[in-house]
Amino acid sequence: MNGAYSGWLIGAALLLALAAVVTAVRDRPMGPVLLAGLGLLELAVLAQAGLALAGLGHVAEKATFIGYLAGTAVIPPAAMWWGRAERTRWGPGVIAVAAFTVAVMTGRLLQIWNAGA
Amino acid sequence: MSAPSGTGPGRVLVAVYGIFALAATSRAAVQIATRFAEAPLAYALSAFAGVVYIVLTVALARGARRLAVAACLVELAGVLVVGTLSLADPAAFPDETVWSGYGSGYLFVPLVLPVVGLLWLLRGVRRS
Repeated sequence: MNGAYSGWLIGAALLLALAAVVTAVRDRPMGPVLLAGLGLLELAVLAQAGLALAGLGHVAEKATFIGYLAGTAVIPPAAMWWGRAERTRWGPGVIAVAAFTVAVMTGRLLQIWNAGA
Repeated sequence: MSAPSGTGPGRVLVAVYGIFALAATSRAAVQIATRFAEAPLAYALSAFAGVVYIVLTVALARGARRLAVAACLVELAGVLVVGTLSLADPAAFPDETVWSGYGSGYLFVPLVLPVVGLLWLLRGVRRS
């Protein structure tokens, strides 16, 4: 796992959450930009999971670490599936919750990683 | 009485509950699988919290209003009891649960969530 990469990932996730909140506040349904953002977030999360699993020997709390990796990978597609049917401002609301959660979980991943073996 | 509880604002509520269901259940699974003997009470409560969150996620999403209200009440009682116990007798809770310290490890969302859930469910009943 790469700390700088994960830092950028957290920033990008928070940016997506902010964009989704702005969309919800403006009372718009989710558009292609938010959906694309969620797709990109998923790709970034999968890349991070690849990096992290490659260096798993470094981690002491393996079970927790893998749990967080799996969680971050599952959340964006779940949010897309659950939020897409909602054609109101609450669809972006779902995206905001998901993106914020990915940011927080990536932060926890970094903490566990930095704690080392 | 049949206003759906899993659409509109309810859809965000279901998303949050879904995340807590995932978080609490997987946390409990890891704790119980790797070190159950260290804090059996805390870990059993983690698992119980996970089950409550799963029930709520499904009940809200499918519009099972009565079940959702009951589960919200259980959730609220759980947060208050476990939160109080964890502060009064920290020795009994050597490791965190979602409900320790009234959910302080989760930005107090576990404390706010059942209140929001009940407001949402009861408002829906009155309106329809």
